[in-house]
Amino acid sequence: MIKTTPSVCPYCGTGCGIGLRSDGDKVIGVEPISSHPISKGRLCSKGWSAAFATGHENRVTSPMIREGEGFRKASWDEALTLIHEKFSYHRDHHGPETVGMISCARATNEDNYAIQKFARTVLKTNNIDHCARICHSPSVAGLQQTLGSGAMTNSIADVGKADVIVVFGCDPTESHSIIGSDIMKAKEAGALLMVVDPRRTRLAEIADVHLQLRLGTNVALLNGLVNIILERGWEDKAFVAERVDDLDVMRKAIAEYTPERVEEITGVPVDQQIQFARLYSHARAAFLAYGMGVTQYVSGTNNVMSISNLALICGHVGKQGAGINPLRGQNNVQGACDMGCLPCQYPGYQQANDPAVRDKFAKAWGTTVGQIPGMTSLGMNEAMLDDAFHALMIFGEDPVLTDPDQNQVTKALKKLDCLVVVEMVMTETAQLADVVLPAACFAEKNGTFASCERRVQRVRKAVNPPGECKSDWQTIAMMAEKFGAKGFGWANSEEVFNEIVSVTPIYSHMSYPRLDESRGLQWPCNTHHPDGSPVLHERSFPIGKARLIPVHNLPTAEQPDVEYPYYLTTIRLHFHYGCGSMTRKSPLLERESPKGLLFMNPRDANNQKLFNHAPVGVRSRRGYIETRVVVTDQVPPGLLSIPYHFFDTPSNQLTNDAQDPVTRMPELKACAVRVEPLARDAEPKSIHTLRALHEAELAE
Amino acid sequence: MNVYELDRIEHLRDWLALSHQVYQAVENDLGNCNWQPIEHGEVVKFKPNVRPLVSPKSLFFSEQENMFVFDGEKFRETLPEHGPRVIFGVSACDLTAISYQDKHFRKDPYYQARRQQTLLVGIDCTKPCDGGFCRSVDAGPHVKDEIADLILTPMPSIGGENTGWWLICSSDAGRAAVSGMDLRRADSSWSSWREMNRRHTEAEFKSDVHIINGIQRINARAVPDELWERLAHQCISCSGCSQLCPTCSCYATRDVAEDTNMVRQRVWDSCLMVGFQKEASGANPAAEAGRRMYRYWYHKFSEDYVAQMGRYGCVGCGRCESTCPGSVGVHSIMEKISNA
Ligand code: SF4
Ligand code: SF4
Ligand code: SF4
Repeated sequence: MIKTTPSVCPYCGTGCGIGLRSDGDKVIGVEPISSHPISKGRLCSKGWSAAFATGHENRVTSPMIREGEGFRKASWDEALTLIHEKFSYHRDHHGPETVGMISCARATNEDNYAIQKFARTVLKTNNIDHCARICHSPSVAGLQQTLGSGAMTNSIADVGKADVIVVFGCDPTESHSIIGSDIMKAKEAGALLMVVDPRRTRLAEIADVHLQLRLGTNVALLNGLVNIILERGWEDKAFVAERVDDLDVMRKAIAEYTPERVEEITGVPVDQQIQFARLYSHARAAFLAYGMGVTQYVSGTNNVMSISNLALICGHVGKQGAGINPLRGQNNVQGACDMGCLPCQYPGYQQANDPAVRDKFAKAWGTTVGQIPGMTSLGMNEAMLDDAFHALMIFGEDPVLTDPDQNQVTKALKKLDCLVVVEMVMTETAQLADVVLPAACFAEKNGTFASCERRVQRVRKAVNPPGECKSDWQTIAMMAEKFGAKGFGWANSEEVFNEIVSVTPIYSHMSYPRLDESRGLQWPCNTHHPDGSPVLHERSFPIGKARLIPVHNLPTAEQPDVEYPYYLTTIRLHFHYGCGSMTRKSPLLERESPKGLLFMNPRDANNQKLFNHAPVGVRSRRGYIETRVVVTDQVPPGLLSIPYHFFDTPSNQLTNDAQDPVTRMPELKACAVRVEPLARDAEPKSIHTLRALHEAELAE
Repeated sequence: MNVYELDRIEHLRDWLALSHQVYQAVENDLGNCNWQPIEHGEVVKFKPNVRPLVSPKSLFFSEQENMFVFDGEKFRETLPEHGPRVIFGVSACDLTAISYQDKHFRKDPYYQARRQQTLLVGIDCTKPCDGGFCRSVDAGPHVKDEIADLILTPMPSIGGENTGWWLICSSDAGRAAVSGMDLRRADSSWSSWREMNRRHTEAEFKSDVHIINGIQRINARAVPDELWERLAHQCISCSGCSQLCPTCSCYATRDVAEDTNMVRQRVWDSCLMVGFQKEASGANPAAEAGRRMYRYWYHKFSEDYVAQMGRYGCVGCGRCESTCPGSVGVHSIMEKISNA
């Protein structure tokens, strides 16, 4: 018998509604939901293929324990006993700073909450993080300083209320397609579209204005724009006077960014700069969206603060149709942050370094909590390499594939005394584990996701999980019992959610029935905003007045030179998502983009005598991979781009792990490489083959 | 033709549910409408004039199904198995699409296994639905006799209140299914009332000039390639139009290992995806997005297919318009083509 269960798409942060069509315990298809407030009956190719992500092929269905080179099946009791033994040993003998957990931006809020609660109350550590580190932590860090809150300030629906739309460093038609769709529709209805991107993206193609700046020169351009606006008096004077601090500091600091100098740095002609500045500052409401082209740099936090400066002086914050809107990658990266899966923050962005906050949670949870400041995931990696970190538990993340500088990550994880991976399938990271625990997928559990517009929505169980797979909060509950800890005895996901609500002020007026009724609520949802908040900062900012923080343009950590003459940037392809472990199960998506591909400008290709689909090697100071070239004028000469979803040609072999000093966000977006043509008929070798060859060479 | 009077539609459904698995369009709490199973005795109100975003296509041509199993020695066909079914309250556009698919899949054992077990109960629409233009492509708003087993048509309403239904038995299977049910014969006035009703409904459709004009231009090959290319630029290859279109019928196959067996599966495909015609060599006759978009609309509106299939491929349901993220669904396309 076929039935349809309404739920939420498991891929990107847009949070589209999706009906799961199931026949018995098999999800056979999906349908869009016409009445959904965001997707309104639309889905992208990932959403349409979501049924394949729930397939039972290759699933881990029972706990597994390492035995030599392989794994053997084990009972939950045996696996949990081993975990308890190892983690409590290291916690007690080497200190809570030597153990930690990485939660999952794809799992539900309930799962994430349980994971950080376990880290803080049972492991007594603040070593808890998730993958936001490699997409949007600079947004949180930057916007928290300038506005007091790191989330999207407005709603997706505001795209349709704007008269000017700015898309900065991302291509929402590829990464957040339904937001991209809203942007295309708004443009058709008459809104003005301006794109800032080194690549000629799909939206750039239809835009009214495209500023094709050089890679890594965001800050210079933004400072230049602010300068033009202030020089000509185009700023929103009333807004700035009433709600923004430090205009004078700003004015002085950026005076040196004259349009001519900015043209020199960024390559954007003076008249285009002035045109952009005029249109943006004169808009009635300008919606600005930005993505990883802004955050994945050494200067990621600076980039975000510069964007904030521009929007603030023009008064495009705190009103409908406007705002500073980071488009976050994974479906629940917003929720993982909301739930406090960050070393420095408890649920609801309550600071971990504030003793009053720690006391509050110690009381609420009825036990002591971790006191020592925690480490980010990259910090934990470094500690592993220094032999100062011994046991790690990773939920549904594949850092071996997604973290920069893959070789380092593998080396670090191999140093652990105990690595536990909770996963659906045997990922590259799971291969390195000592214990693997089976996880349920999104169609097999109840809970909530928070989308990038801060909308908390219900995820519903359509089918039973295969074998012994469990929701992460259930796994945590069983683990806590093994550790003799109290406070994890929830009967269902709703009880977890009710606990979340009781300790998270921004969620305080939410409940499952209320979420159902209103088809999701946007936080803050509290006594002041019982029906949620589509627009943030309407009257004031959480820090009172917003701050203009001048920053300066820093070159990317690595720049092209004679030896490595190209800039390489990583991109996201529409058809795939994150590390691809879910989307690559779909036969159609797999077919759409079957191999890792290197995008190259026709001029460069010509100079190197390369043709479309020519096999090439790509070498950086850190690694080497082989792939094929796609010749396209989407990228300007001198710039190459490569998708990061494919495990046989992982781009992270090449990328740089130079980090943003504030958030330690790695610079995935820019590094220097050279291209080495292979024989015309050569078949590019996968990374596994290359590694094996390399090892064989070493052995000789 | 046997025609009966029916006070409440639910009576008929409940009768059929005694001996069939009945699927009906049901609206859930979230305001979304899908085909859901309804048991005998279940109290679910029947709402006329609702048409789910997802057509009944998948109940015959499944989005994911096994074709055969190979156990290392022998191939075994895996035909779908289930008892008799009723799809209850299907509108004219969807029924027209089913009869179109009946032709297309006439030799397909998987489709036929489901189709032959299924009784279709159609219902006449009394007002145009959002984005629907069935009238322009001869697919509605009223159900033609030969495409349903039973047809429901409303009696004239008094002060907006529905006063009952006429039940038309348009096939032998339909007649057999209601035999034994306690029904009153209708008097002969039903056909003139139905005819009047149809004319009223047809008069309510919005202008379809862009559709007619677009069809002309597509058949005259009067749409320049550059325009297709420009329109295709907005297509993000989501596949939504093919998924929702009740007459799209392409599939891809793949082999999946299951225990020690190999299972050949087929899954829905979309000709708007770049990989659709990609050959093993990497060559692709429709690599340009514009070619793919042209091909899609050619399939829906070309006279060449009328010669082959007896009608246009499009039944005017408007679903591709409502699901297209790129604003290149049927109305948008036809408007842009006719304004070019
Ligand atoms: S836009 Fe994002 S949430 Fe919507 S269907 Fe696509 S992947 Fe899913
Ligand atoms: S082409 Fe569009 S309007 Fe025509 S039948 Fe298909 S989905 Fe309906
Ligand atoms: S629905 Fe629109 S965007 Fe999606 S494949 Fe069809 S034409 Fe392209």
